[in-house]
Amino acid sequence: MDYSNNYSTTSYGAQGGAAGGGFMPGSQSDSPGAKRTYGKDTLRPVTIKQLVDAHHPHPDAEYFMIDNSEATQVTFVGQIRNISTQTTNVTYKLDDGTGIIEVKVWIDAEAFADPAHPGNERPKPVEQGYARCWGRLKAFNNKRHVGANVIRPIQDFNEIQYHLLEATAVHLHFTRGSPETLQQNSKGGAANGVGGQANGHAGGAGAAGYDGGNDGGSGVRPLPAGASRAARQVYATIKDSPQTHEGLHMQDIATRSGMDVGEVYKGGDELQSLGMIYTTVDDQTWAILDV
Amino acid sequence: MTEATPRITAPYLEQFSHATVRILGKVRQLRGEQATIDAGGNIQVHLNRDAHLQLNHAVEIIGKVQNDLSVKVMASTDMGPEASIDFNAVDAVVDATHRYREIFYDKEQ
Repeated sequence: MDYSNNYSTTSYGAQGGAAGGGFMPGSQSDSPGAKRTYGKDTLRPVTIKQLVDAHHPHPDAEYFMIDNSEATQVTFVGQIRNISTQTTNVTYKLDDGTGIIEVKVWIDAEAFADPAHPGNERPKPVEQGYARCWGRLKAFNNKRHVGANVIRPIQDFNEIQYHLLEATAVHLHFTRGSPETLQQNSKGGAANGVGGQANGHAGGAGAAGYDGGNDGGSGVRPLPAGASRAARQVYATIKDSPQTHEGLHMQDIATRSGMDVGEVYKGGDELQSLGMIYTTVDDQTWAILDV
Repeated sequence: MTEATPRITAPYLEQFSHATVRILGKVRQLRGEQATIDAGGNIQVHLNRDAHLQLNHAVEIIGKVQNDLSVKVMASTDMGPEASIDFNAVDAVVDATHRYREIFYDKEQ
């Protein structure tokens, strides 16, 4: 749980705020026109389909949302369908089997003018060859492209498989929770639905987890695959904490899980609408619904 | 979107008939315009003019699955001697492609 929390925007922003003054990494300046800092940039492996499908929060936003998390810098591997050299940049059309996207790389004027420049010794990407690139997804005139810092040809073709599996693992991390969280939950003797749902590698390993120990004598049902990370964390906390039949208060869940109260509220709300928990003494106290 | 070319192996051929797919396999036989590729089972492929397949090399082909489950090659990429490719990873990618389809391709082609 600590693991996933490190990534959450709230804890990061809060740290910056606590430091007080000076340079605040990732200060909450999402208003259009505000200068965005690079403090909370991430580098995420993706498939081209994820870039094509990525949600753009507003036309001026400098970031995109992939699996409900901000994506700034991305990296991917694809086959070069076309290379066209413009005056200021080289445009590569990359195809990774999931989609096609244009990648623009600025021409290094210094290296261009000087044939002896060390930058010219690096292997150059060629048409029909595979390449990996690192860059930032951009939208221009309703068309998406990647402004790349680096593009380099693939030397070992195993990197293609490596990349696609890495992109899958990261996608699962964001949609179903981190493997560490899942392992912790099952180690504590409290095998539960969270672990079962997200164990992608083992495929059907989920079912084995459900008959593990259950703490409050409560029957435990697996959460549906679409449940958010907040909902999973709240559910796991209620399930794993000693409590009376009145359940746990929102504030208590926040303290135990180290989550933000607002997040707990959202997670709890989601669980209620899923029929996984119910309110007891007041609207903010929840217990697990046994079926 | 028809831009996606899902990665498949022999067992998926039927499910993808008439679709454009991507297959990474080992070249087993060359017979002029035709070849046999091993990717989770043998697949018959019809080559185009630019295809330069080599026996016992790994090759990635992009092609269209025909009625008889053979594949008509549109493009091919030689990936070197088959021992240089980890085919367990290749199988894992095909598995992930269809298990977590949302980041690889849309169902309706």
